[in-house]
Amino acid sequence: MSSAVRCWLASLALWCGVTTGWAATEAPAAATRITLPADIVWQSNEDDPPIGSAEAVRGGRLNESIGSYPLTLRLMGPNANDAFAGWNRLFTFNFALVVRHPVSDRFMPWMATQWAVMPDQRTLYFKLDPDARWSDGKPITARDYVFTWTMMRSEHIVDPFYNSYAERFYESIDAIDDYTLRIVGTRPSWRALSDYGGLFPTPAHVHTLDADWVKRTTNTPQVVPGPYVISEQVRGERIVFQRVAKWWGDGKRRFRGLYNFDEIVLRVIPTERRLDYLRRGELDLMAGTSSRSWNEDFTFPAVRNGWIKRARIMTDWPSGMYGMSMNLQAPIFQNKDFRKAMQYLVNFDRVNQNLMYGEFSRLVSYFQGSEYASPRVKPYGFDPVKAREHLAKAGFRRPAELGATSWFGKLFNTVRGLLFTRSDSDDILVNDRGEKASFTLTYGSKGLERHLTVMQQEFRRAGVDMQLRLLEPGTAFERGLERKYEMTVTGRTTNFYPDPRQYFHTSFQAVTNNNNIWGFGNPEVDELIKVFEEDLDADKRRAAMWRIDEIVHDEAFYIPFWEAPFLRVVYWDYIRFPETWLPPRTEQLTDYMVYWFDPARKAALDQAMKDKKALPVDASLDKDYYGLRAKAAGG
Amino acid sequence: MAWLRLDPVTRKRLQRFRQIKRGYWSFIILMTAIVLSVFSPYLAESRAVAVWYQGQLYLPTFQFLPMRTFGQAPPPAWDTAEIETEYFRLQREWEAERFLHARDTAAATAAGSDAAALAAIDARYPNRANRVFMPPIPWDPYQNDFWSNEILFEIQAALDAGDSAGAEFLARRDQLNELADAIHQGTLAAMLADPEQSATGKLPGLAKTGAMASIAHLGQAPPIAPDAGRGHYLGTDAQGRDVASRLLYGFRISIFFALFLVLTGQLIGTIIGSLQGYLGGRFDMLSQRFIEVLLSIPFLYVVIVLAALFQPSFWMLLAIMAIFQWISITFFMRTEMYREKTREYCLAARSYGASHWRIVFRHLLPNCLTPLVTFTPFAVVGAIFALTGLDYLGYGLPAPTPSWGELIDQALQVENRTKLWLILAPFTALTVTLVLVVFIGESVREAFDPKRYARYE
Repeated sequence: MSSAVRCWLASLALWCGVTTGWAATEAPAAATRITLPADIVWQSNEDDPPIGSAEAVRGGRLNESIGSYPLTLRLMGPNANDAFAGWNRLFTFNFALVVRHPVSDRFMPWMATQWAVMPDQRTLYFKLDPDARWSDGKPITARDYVFTWTMMRSEHIVDPFYNSYAERFYESIDAIDDYTLRIVGTRPSWRALSDYGGLFPTPAHVHTLDADWVKRTTNTPQVVPGPYVISEQVRGERIVFQRVAKWWGDGKRRFRGLYNFDEIVLRVIPTERRLDYLRRGELDLMAGTSSRSWNEDFTFPAVRNGWIKRARIMTDWPSGMYGMSMNLQAPIFQNKDFRKAMQYLVNFDRVNQNLMYGEFSRLVSYFQGSEYASPRVKPYGFDPVKAREHLAKAGFRRPAELGATSWFGKLFNTVRGLLFTRSDSDDILVNDRGEKASFTLTYGSKGLERHLTVMQQEFRRAGVDMQLRLLEPGTAFERGLERKYEMTVTGRTTNFYPDPRQYFHTSFQAVTNNNNIWGFGNPEVDELIKVFEEDLDADKRRAAMWRIDEIVHDEAFYIPFWEAPFLRVVYWDYIRFPETWLPPRTEQLTDYMVYWFDPARKAALDQAMKDKKALPVDASLDKDYYGLRAKAAGG
Repeated sequence: MAWLRLDPVTRKRLQRFRQIKRGYWSFIILMTAIVLSVFSPYLAESRAVAVWYQGQLYLPTFQFLPMRTFGQAPPPAWDTAEIETEYFRLQREWEAERFLHARDTAAATAAGSDAAALAAIDARYPNRANRVFMPPIPWDPYQNDFWSNEILFEIQAALDAGDSAGAEFLARRDQLNELADAIHQGTLAAMLADPEQSATGKLPGLAKTGAMASIAHLGQAPPIAPDAGRGHYLGTDAQGRDVASRLLYGFRISIFFALFLVLTGQLIGTIIGSLQGYLGGRFDMLSQRFIEVLLSIPFLYVVIVLAALFQPSFWMLLAIMAIFQWISITFFMRTEMYREKTREYCLAARSYGASHWRIVFRHLLPNCLTPLVTFTPFAVVGAIFALTGLDYLGYGLPAPTPSWGELIDQALQVENRTKLWLILAPFTALTVTLVLVVFIGESVREAFDPKRYARYE
């Protein structure tokens, strides 16, 4: 479930309250004793190589940073989805029954050693690893998974997202014995393991679910199945993770070379100051540098001497949606030609080359990065001539001549020409009803303003007036959901499998507060969504999704922006990465934590710094072990 | 000032103000700046003030003129001449034609060519007689100029296409004379072929090695440092917009914002404060409580919250801030009125049967003006500061409105810390403006010092 839920959390819990049609029936009371079916075929996957490196050594301390101090250490409930959640989930939520191998994409054992998916495609059996222990030493049993479900459904956790998720996905979760688990999903799924196998355990012996739960657990460190527990918390300053002594996973093949540090210190440091701390050696590692900083800031001696290293590691994770969305219910965007004109007016290359060092690539498909992206969908590209044709078809043209004929009009124009500059003048296209080609773009990210103002000027040149309105991020997001906007900038992360229903289905067209922020609806797409969700033929599903992609592309209500198919990492020389750098399916640097602290390198670095000697510098910053760049170019 | 009837005391005060040189000159400078800023479109604008084309005068400030009017070629990737003329480029293009025409004619004359050959040269440069008159700063505050990052690629593309005349024209147009000469004389190919001078064998590589010093500053993404040759006297910001132009328009907006705000605020504050002081009693008590309530609201937070919910326009922001602006002056007007209303001239006026309105605004107010006049310049300082602060925090006027706060914000971004011109320009402008206003305020306070003159009727 880890990635599934992460995705939905990111795209907010929109399903709640919307998909009443799907509300699951009450779980049947497990009065009868459940037994394993006779014909069960257990599966495992021991063939894929371990994720981590054999070279990795255990030990050392990792100094990392977070932007703000967590509001809570809970995994569920109010504020549990803040910036700290990524760290919090690493050692809890990511310890699911099975995980998808980030290189081969096949499921591999994690908390469960074996699994079986029954032919009904919704009943699953899992054999748990009997060695698994909680960080307090108690064994992790099937009851702890049942408890997760109980907890997710509990009203005491004050978390509508989990409440709805638990109801919507699981019909029943039962312990057959201490180490055997049965999960029954609410509906058959061709991706049953992906939908239902992501369940993580919750320590039943720790939690008492009552009205006081939220308050009581807000600052209590979690008891976890993973290798790290919080050992120290200094409010507003830092959180320290300590590795569990004799963690149960040590020595297991699947955990080889992962989670290598003895201690992880998370200091609260504002994002923009991280580089200063790194330079002083107070941070060992940082990811997520801006393009400009990456290209211009790293000229200081420690970098030139090879003491601080940099790497741009290629990754391959489905991109999700990021771009400008048009409200199909706003009068100006009801015209498809006008929408297409907008598509042709976005000059991605200009923005990319001049503001982003040409490092980004254009998003094209709604399902980019997955097999469901139609190869027939090509980006609109910048084409002012076509834009002009479409604008003309939509009835917009330059106002014939500005010169008013009356003496008053002439005087007015003269005064206006004297006092105001171009933004106030009348080179905006108009239609026959005298309406201007003008709309407002709402956005919630100040950082995007640079890019948007450049686009605004390009639109302006073509005679389209795009007003910018910066809102507080939450408000901008909400306006999108409530469809109270004309054009807005939105981003949604995606699961490994895309979920077209919540974005494109007609059932969300008339109601607001869902991910169909455009108010889009099309009977053909509804049919295709059904095919994708239910058809057991993989080719048919793919064909359906390609068709959806093409229809969405042609409707032109979403102008895709760009993606960065890489992670930028800056680190001191003693942090080492495997030869493979990161697995391709890496969403963030902390996934699996494959890097480690190398004491020999640390000693060498200290000596080099003392002697003021340079260490070898990498010739190329780009790390593409898996040849992802060639794959992306070819696909 | 004969046309304005001033009473002797006021005249004396003005005279005194004029005697304080620092304040007086500050006033003159600031007023000139304000008046000039009103005509910003003639100081900093990407549209030409005038174009002389084929014997006809065009005034682009008043009129939208597409590129086809002047036969200008559209910029790369645009493919349509229906967009507005790029006047700055047009000016440079016509200048380049004049230069090339003169050069070719001189060469042809020296070679003793006949009249037909000279006529052919004339025909090659048809625009040499046309003129573009640009404002002193040829940039508007919105235009993104990525020239520095793009021009070498553009010239390289022309070279790759085998069009060396076109490449030379581009270089000549943008006053890259060393490069243009190298193309014209055919020495460029040798430079590009030398890996010492250009690792890539292309122009951007040549710029990087510094082998041709005059183009070494090119190939950079914005912000770019001050470059007078390109008309960016104070450099550009992170989006390639001209800093000088944004400073100028930013000044126009903030000073008018501040003046409007302070005038409204002081007007409302004076009326309410005067009434409080004059009427006293229950009205005073109630309104004073109301003011206390209003005072306890943290003003900046309210503006920020409102701005975060709906980004306000100029007038809306003015209205929001005016809600809080009037308060401080009421205290002074109120106490002044309390004092003045007990004076004999007030009693005299009352005994004559003058209306309350007349007593307050005709008799009392002129005697209570000192705090109003002395505090107003400082209120202007506060208002400029508040707007700059809001813009800096991102809660001010919507993008891309030119603003000092926004410039300072850009300058303080981590990646711009080394771009000194970004911080120096708005910082200097802000400091100078505020110092001027403070000088004026101090002089006004001194000139209006009630200990020096008093006015009783």
